[in-house]
Amino acid sequence: MSDEVTTTGKSYLTPFNIIAGIIIIIGLYVTVLRFTKGLGAVTNLSDYNPWGIWIGFDLLVGVALAAGGFVTSSAVYIFGMKKYHSAVRPAILTGFLGYAMVVVALNYDVGRPWRLPYPFIIQRGTTSLLFEVAACVALYLSVLFLEFSPAALEWLGLKKLRNILMKLTLLLTIFGVVLSTLHQSSLGALFLIAPSKLHPLWYSPYIAVFFFVSAVIAGLSMVIFESTLSHRYFADKMDEAHLKEKDDIALGFGKAAALVLAGYFIIKVIGISEGNNWHLLGTPYGIWFLVELIGFVALPCFFYAIGVREKNLKIIKWTAAWTVLGIIVNRLNVGLVAFNWHLPSSERYFPHWMEIAISVFLVTVLLLIFRFICTRMPIMYSHPDYPEEH
Amino acid sequence: MPKGSALLRGISIIVAVTVASFLVSSTAVFGINEQPKVTPEVRADIIDIDSMKVFGKLERPSVSYLHQRHTEALEKKNKDCSVCHLSEKDPQSEKERMSTRFMRLKDTTRQEVMDIYHNNCIACHNDTKAAKEKSGPVECGECHQQQATVVSSWQPIGMDKSLHYRHSKAMDKKCEKCHHVYNEKTKKLYYAKDQEGTCRYCHRSKTEENRISLRQAAHGACVECHRERTAKNETAGPFNCEGCHEASQQKLIEIVKDVPRMQLNQPDIIFVKTSAADKEKINPLALMNLVPFNHKAHEQYNDSCRVCHHANLTGCEQCHSIQGNEDGGGVTLEQAMHRPNIDQSCIGCHESQQAQPACVGCHISFEKKQPEGTASCANCHAVPKSEIIGVVGKDDEKMMAARALGQRDAVARTYSDADLPETVVIKALSNKYEPVKLPHRKIVTTMVDKIKSNQLANFFHPENGTVCQGCHHNSPASKTPPKCISCHSKPFNAKDPFKPGLIAAYHRQCMECHKAMGIAKPVATDCTACHQKKS
Amino acid sequence: MSISRRKFLGWLGAAGLGATVGQKAARAASNKHFDGYPESNGVLFDNTRCIGCRKCEEGCNKVNELPEPDRPFSDLSQLDTKRRTTAKAYTVVNRYDDTGGGKGPLYLKIQCNHCLEPACASVCFVSAFKKTATGAVTYDASVCVGCRYCMIACPFEIPAYQYDNAFSPKVMKCTMCFPRISKGLLPGCVEACPTEALTYGKRGDLLRIGRERIRKFPDRYVDHIYGENEMGGTSWLYLSQVPFKEVGLREDLGVTPAPALTSGALSVVPMVVGLWPVLLGGVYAINKRKEKIEQQEKAQAVAAAVEATEAEAKAKMKEALEFQEKQKEKAIAKAVSQALEEAAKAAEEKVSETPAEDADKKSSKEDS
Repeated sequence: MSDEVTTTGKSYLTPFNIIAGIIIIIGLYVTVLRFTKGLGAVTNLSDYNPWGIWIGFDLLVGVALAAGGFVTSSAVYIFGMKKYHSAVRPAILTGFLGYAMVVVALNYDVGRPWRLPYPFIIQRGTTSLLFEVAACVALYLSVLFLEFSPAALEWLGLKKLRNILMKLTLLLTIFGVVLSTLHQSSLGALFLIAPSKLHPLWYSPYIAVFFFVSAVIAGLSMVIFESTLSHRYFADKMDEAHLKEKDDIALGFGKAAALVLAGYFIIKVIGISEGNNWHLLGTPYGIWFLVELIGFVALPCFFYAIGVREKNLKIIKWTAAWTVLGIIVNRLNVGLVAFNWHLPSSERYFPHWMEIAISVFLVTVLLLIFRFICTRMPIMYSHPDYPEEH
Repeated sequence: MPKGSALLRGISIIVAVTVASFLVSSTAVFGINEQPKVTPEVRADIIDIDSMKVFGKLERPSVSYLHQRHTEALEKKNKDCSVCHLSEKDPQSEKERMSTRFMRLKDTTRQEVMDIYHNNCIACHNDTKAAKEKSGPVECGECHQQQATVVSSWQPIGMDKSLHYRHSKAMDKKCEKCHHVYNEKTKKLYYAKDQEGTCRYCHRSKTEENRISLRQAAHGACVECHRERTAKNETAGPFNCEGCHEASQQKLIEIVKDVPRMQLNQPDIIFVKTSAADKEKINPLALMNLVPFNHKAHEQYNDSCRVCHHANLTGCEQCHSIQGNEDGGGVTLEQAMHRPNIDQSCIGCHESQQAQPACVGCHISFEKKQPEGTASCANCHAVPKSEIIGVVGKDDEKMMAARALGQRDAVARTYSDADLPETVVIKALSNKYEPVKLPHRKIVTTMVDKIKSNQLANFFHPENGTVCQGCHHNSPASKTPPKCISCHSKPFNAKDPFKPGLIAAYHRQCMECHKAMGIAKPVATDCTACHQKKS
Repeated sequence: MSISRRKFLGWLGAAGLGATVGQKAARAASNKHFDGYPESNGVLFDNTRCIGCRKCEEGCNKVNELPEPDRPFSDLSQLDTKRRTTAKAYTVVNRYDDTGGGKGPLYLKIQCNHCLEPACASVCFVSAFKKTATGAVTYDASVCVGCRYCMIACPFEIPAYQYDNAFSPKVMKCTMCFPRISKGLLPGCVEACPTEALTYGKRGDLLRIGRERIRKFPDRYVDHIYGENEMGGTSWLYLSQVPFKEVGLREDLGVTPAPALTSGALSVVPMVVGLWPVLLGGVYAINKRKEKIEQQEKAQAVAAAVEATEAEAKAKMKEALEFQEKQKEKAIAKAVSQALEEAAKAAEEKVSETPAEDADKKSSKEDS
């Protein structure tokens, strides 16, 4: 471990590290329990509720929030918006670690994780949208890995390999957008099979479109959110380009987010109309749906627009965090709240503390790895051997 | 950025106001019910005031009006019906007849009728409230309730034999006091002897032209008379709503057990036959065999004549022709006699009798269909039609019918005890359980005892072996019917899908009969009640 | 980046080949309409015959070697609470007391309905569920990954999971006793039922039997066979004395088979794979072209500007040179005229002067 982390000479026992350490210890303990005693010992899953927060949060939210990768890389490399170039590597890293965390969480959730490769090597089930999700996530993780690897290779000094990989950027970006479109929407489409179990306000034939569009929103907001946090904690690692472009990135992505949120709001309303579910808006679930739609979609859209117009970065940053929260609310709603809404409350699901512990554990590990990589590899700055290609 | 924060503040206020107004209005718009759930009051005197219906669609819900509550309140103040009901001279009877409409004799215009209700009701309620007494609603929504706070327990009531007897006794058998007939030509009501029938023959559920509805006729006649007699301190029936229409009060009505037979020149035993008009068209030899019918006995089986005589007191063939005509509503004579599921047809009534607890055990397992074969027809169509040829004169016919019926003695028939095995040991299939020792004779004699006095049963169980066919089914009546294993073996034979296997045949035969008859023991799930477990 | 024609055609061929391979996914789980295998079997449950004895549960338990329950099957107090299928019980009987008609309690046996187009088979991403020709929907534990999507998908909420099994957890559900019916035996529950409330046979025959029972006893049954069309049709059919929702069977599931619910979304996938690269590549190309044109225009503008300045500079230079030339000429002329003047002056002085002046002239000559 180099001294780059503690440039100011402080000890390793920062409050963050201590808390992270405790979480890691608890996480490891629960992991052992999970794999020796089975799912029943560490979760509140039941026959009525086979999917809990490891799917609802770790998988659904994780994949949505990792969408910044394809959004940023497509903006820069396909749509040619070069002024956001400094946001690409952090976004790709966030995406890569996010998807990696999703795959790790999946290993906790499925009954026999060593069989995860089975759909590809033993027996296919191509009528299933889950097959499509699995295939696309697996491929996309590889794509993200390849997109991230130039930074690692620069750090390791492997020039030739790094140059080869850089040449693949456009191809990987296009492939990444295709794969992201497919799996982001398919995660929503997973619920198409269960109209009798998902509340009509959240169930719609358009649910795949809703998930994809909200993933774009999540990606845009996560980039701003992650940039805000990075600038707070890793500012000493950033080069001039990074520092200079950050405001433009916030404004540009904020504008895009406002537009996409407006579009999302409209298609959600179309969804209610398609199902003729207006009368449900007055029910308790309906009120909660309106909280999600107005509080976490319409209002952020509004505030993004104001922030962009007034060039008020503070508003944009807070709205980004708020939108990220809204995505979490939406995914949890679809996966846990609106699902099985018809069951009596005795049969409804609330996570076991150990499930929450694992989710927190995985997020903590993600943050630690993120910190490790950002403080060593040329993510927030350009490696001196490789001047920026503009 | 002062401009920016001012904008923010403005928008936040707008949003907050929108959300708040939405939540507040959602009760009205989306119907979130803030009112606590009220258990509705159950009453028999509810009148549904929807008089405005004649003028078009109702704008507000109809009003549930509690008639008895008002009459009782008015009684306390020594006021009577005339407070709300106007009277007019009835052109037919020359008597003062009270209109059942509220404060009016007829419906004029929409506004006027509405005003009559609103002005009078609300004014009276306001007056009583001013006098510090318990009063009724004055706000729109309190009368025109969206959600009912009262539920009607109104039960219909009719004149049955016992009531009619009591009334005729009270009237000294002066039938003209209640019964009248209408002359189309002179357009007048008059009393015609021997043409008395139930009011329902003319007065229907709705008022037609100048023929008032049954409700109006009944209330006008019954309630008026009861009121007058009570005023004169004579015994009379109730004249408040509940007295006639409330279930518990109905039970208090005295029932005369042995009502003497009504004297309307009705026949004792007669043939059910085709009409004279039909007989002219069709050769009698081409008709069905004749059905001798014991009218006198059937008079005792129903509470009133109108169960069978649903349109008038004549014979069925007067309206129901062989091919059906307008008078009979298109119902052919055959249908009138045989149609199931309605009480006025012979078969329909007989079938509904099969649902009695004493009968249902066997009869519930019989399929609903016309009995096959001609043997069952002969039960009723007993007299060959050739015998009626040449017989002229009603009395001769009646004698013939009586003779035909007399030849059949309707008694409970079964085999003698000696012929009924006392215990039947069922040992087919006893692998998990011991054989069943069935108390056969006891079961048979108990069942037959229950139906001993039922004439219908006795009539239709003409042979000794007929009752045995309740269990020993799908084979001719016999002293030694075949064992169940003759037909029932393995289940789920695709070629004979409706025959259960032996186990299910045994189990269902017993269990379904027990369930239908409401026999508590043995419990179907208690295996050892019928057969011990094999050790 | 540019790709050669050869490479492009090669990729197309590979993609096409990949699409044709592997079309033998279970027909029942695809998005085409499926009427059921012709000899498919089923079971007809008639709740007018069921007495709630739980012998079917016992029979199932024995035949499938499931663990012993906590309370014995003869304990009918278990029916006081509503139960569902669990990892230890493929089938349960529930009692319904408050049904219309006042004819006493009614019972309903629930188990996997062996749908004609099962949702579980459609959503399993390792094809662990198969709709067999016998009618049974079977489960292959040897490929199951344990993702539990089948439990999400089943509209009847039947599959259960062995959450307590750490190393080989299985999905548990009724198998219609597939091994037994393949040998011509009856399913365990059907064999155990003492009143033949369960009738086993070909699905088509069962539908006919059901309709005939309704025809013969119209007062006894609701005029509908549950499972005839629900969720596209099931192999387990139900007859009931009272409306089905009063005995725990959902009547709001519709008649669309489960696979048809996702076939729309699945069909979009190849379109995205085919079109997105074209669209994105197009956007990229348009952007690149735009950039190129921008650059060209920029270069042109620069060149024009340079030219203009050069021309301007040249013009200025010429002007300056000319000016200088003029100046020079002027200076020369001036010098010439001056010289001429002086010469003339000298000549004049020479003429007018004496020898005495010679000395002066001499000196002045020397001076000039």
